[in-house]
Amino acid sequence: MSAGASDSAVGVELVSHFATVEQQKHAAVLGMWAWLLTELLLFAGLFLTALVLRIIHPEAVQEAARHLKFWIGATNTVVLIGSSLTMSGAIQLSRLGWQRGMVRFMLATAALGTLFLVLKGYEYYADYQEHMMPFLSDRPYELKDSPPSRLFVNLYYVATGLHGLHLMTGITILLVMTWQASRAGFLTRHQNRIEIFGLYWHFIDLIWILAFPTLYVLNR
Amino acid sequence: MTSGTITDGPALRDPHTPDSRIGHGADYLHAEHTLRSWFFTTDHKRIALLYLASITAFFVIGAVTAGLVRLALVVPDGQVFTNDTYNKLFTIHGVVMVWFFLIPSIPATFGNFLIPLMIGARDLAFPKLNLASWYVFMTGALFTLASVVLGGVDTGWTFYTPLSTAFSNTWVVPALIGVTIVGFSSILTGLNFVVTIHTMRAPGMTWFRLPIFVWTHYATSLIFLLATPVITVALVLLIAERAFHIGVFDPAYGGDPVLFQHLFWFYSHPAVYIMVLPGMGVISEIVPAFAQKKLFGYKFVAYAAIGLASVTFFVWGHHMFVNGQSDFASLAFSVLSFAVAVPSAVKVYNWTATIHKGSLKLDTPMLYAMGYIGLFVLGGLTGLYLATLAINQHVHATYFVVAHFHYIMVGGTVLAFLGGLHFWWPKITGRMYIEAWGRISAFLIFIGFNVTFFPQFILGYLGMPRRYHVYPPEFQFLNILSSAGSTILAVGYIFPMVYLVYSIWFGKRAPANPWDARGLEWTVSSPPPAHNFVTEPVAPKVPYDYPIQAQETGRHHS
Amino acid sequence: MFGTHDERRILWRHMREPVLTAGALLAMLGINVALGATLPFPHVWIVELIVAGAMVVTILLFSMEVRHDPPLVKLFACIGFFWVGILFTMTLVDYLSRG
Repeated sequence: MSAGASDSAVGVELVSHFATVEQQKHAAVLGMWAWLLTELLLFAGLFLTALVLRIIHPEAVQEAARHLKFWIGATNTVVLIGSSLTMSGAIQLSRLGWQRGMVRFMLATAALGTLFLVLKGYEYYADYQEHMMPFLSDRPYELKDSPPSRLFVNLYYVATGLHGLHLMTGITILLVMTWQASRAGFLTRHQNRIEIFGLYWHFIDLIWILAFPTLYVLNR
Repeated sequence: MTSGTITDGPALRDPHTPDSRIGHGADYLHAEHTLRSWFFTTDHKRIALLYLASITAFFVIGAVTAGLVRLALVVPDGQVFTNDTYNKLFTIHGVVMVWFFLIPSIPATFGNFLIPLMIGARDLAFPKLNLASWYVFMTGALFTLASVVLGGVDTGWTFYTPLSTAFSNTWVVPALIGVTIVGFSSILTGLNFVVTIHTMRAPGMTWFRLPIFVWTHYATSLIFLLATPVITVALVLLIAERAFHIGVFDPAYGGDPVLFQHLFWFYSHPAVYIMVLPGMGVISEIVPAFAQKKLFGYKFVAYAAIGLASVTFFVWGHHMFVNGQSDFASLAFSVLSFAVAVPSAVKVYNWTATIHKGSLKLDTPMLYAMGYIGLFVLGGLTGLYLATLAINQHVHATYFVVAHFHYIMVGGTVLAFLGGLHFWWPKITGRMYIEAWGRISAFLIFIGFNVTFFPQFILGYLGMPRRYHVYPPEFQFLNILSSAGSTILAVGYIFPMVYLVYSIWFGKRAPANPWDARGLEWTVSSPPPAHNFVTEPVAPKVPYDYPIQAQETGRHHS
Repeated sequence: MFGTHDERRILWRHMREPVLTAGALLAMLGINVALGATLPFPHVWIVELIVAGAMVVTILLFSMEVRHDPPLVKLFACIGFFWVGILFTMTLVDYLSRG
């Protein structure tokens, strides 16, 4: 029992308006996927904008993209892939009923998510130092000879900011859920919450997997 | 489709039992009485009524501003209001009517109320989310309403760049924030419907036993999910543009204002079907009930709903023919737009075929439904004119466009909304309204609507542009005619508000199935019990199991 | 924390797939980073795009376990990408044909 496995079975408690637990679990999975559809379309609008900018101003976009912190972006991608791994671990252990191990994996996931945000914050700070914040009207802009490059750099802030917001929301939910999940009996009543949240976490990872090449790599 | 046989069996159930539950407690209206039990309810039926009350209030605001716009247009020299006031008035009208009335109208009220009843479920899949979506809606809507009424916004409901970003000096940002928030309410409602329809159907309730109302709401929900996030991001970029001058839509830095229109219409054209499809669902329930005849071509009508929801995503560029998109894109969007006519026509033909040789009862809901079919045909066909490149050049941004979409939005959605309100009113409240008043107001609305909007087709064809209140004097007669029509329309709207509210306290008690209609919602008492079904619902073997079957004469109906 | 031999064995049996998935993702990321850093040939973005697409598919199928999901969930996982395709294609019809 050293991994925290409990004797009670892993399961889900039936809410009254559902007929069966199966139905309830299916509804929860489908609901999360429906939400993820909207997330995908949301970010698609930004990726489309990036593509359109690339088409109408190829040189300016390339110049702007070369000023992004490529290596921080790459490191952050590694961090997020790692957080997906720990999230998968939490899901696997929740299925086994190993509560203590699961909680540790969840905390590790939240820590990696936070590390991503810290690195992102440092990246913004470095951008600020290099005068790569064209939306600040009182600060000179590094690439002022190329007005269209502003558009791509600003879009980079909107896209990464929106992704950061999603990650921050994810970390908050994850921490609250970790607190709930550390109490006895959680896995007998709400095991599927771990799985549902896992879908969200992996998808935020997926969005970054798309954002990193779109912003940092493809336009170099 | 079925052959020409008649089902001789009894109607699905005796239409006049069980009796009214008023006074027996336990129905959803009388289960609890506190304010708390309304504002923190998770009962889909009560949430539907919260929505009904809110969108009615928004409708009144939108209608009053429309009246003021029509008042301004009585004289050609624009002396009634200043230019600024006029711009703000039509913006309030557009913003409130589109975002806060038409989009939530039928789905959030009847959809919420009826989908669980129709599929035999106890509630929607996520009841708390459903309540949350109402709060999100009210937060966003009141926020925007405050900005457009107290501050004023002059961009029109479309918020086109660069007017909205570079030139307007009004409260654009708060209005945008509110509209963005309301979008989340749409998403949550759509998500709830999709999951509910997939997972909560009663045993035996297969997809092809579902009422068309459920099919059209499924299609609508898909649009909510797939289109709304794109306008969210477009509005976020617009807010960022105004707040930080990010420049993506600003030609001064090399940005492209047309990109905003692409993102905007990727949502806003499908949004037309968010407004129209639920109405089609309502009509598909009313017409068979008042013809006592099985819906003609059930599967075609169901597929047409999904077809419309898909095709509508390929045609948005027909709003942008003269706005700087490439000629090739215009051509492509124009050709694709014609495809929309096919599923629309399928539906109209099927309703007509259902009426044909049915046993017609021209009660109030049916009057609205027939009005809907006629006006939708006119609105739809003029849409084909507008999708034609050459004609579009002539009538783009004129009153022809205004008339066209009002035939769809008012002649379609609003008539369907009122028809549905009268059809399900006995079910929702447990009371009957006074039929004579219902018929009178249906006629007034039909006549008032046509007198208001038909002259606008002519005005537009003659070249009167939209959004101006100064116009050449020779257009004055048609404008006065239009404004006169709007007063008839207003009277037609006021009547139901009075006699429906009156009926809540003084109306005759309604039986469970006053129209002898089919569908699970009519098998429960009026108003329904708090948990919808006292006994396990039994799915019908065939949907629309009315006495008269397709292709039959009325000889045999019971 | 996973004291006994048995527990470690069970753990590995369940973690094998996530670990391999993460390994594959890191390898593909490595390819893209290398290509992005060196830009070895013109139009390298085509290769980068394909690799990014493979990463997305890997996350969907393995991390999110769409592989084991019922057909309906598979459909939901695909439909969003299809709609993104509509958005991109129809918008590009305009931008790519502007004179």
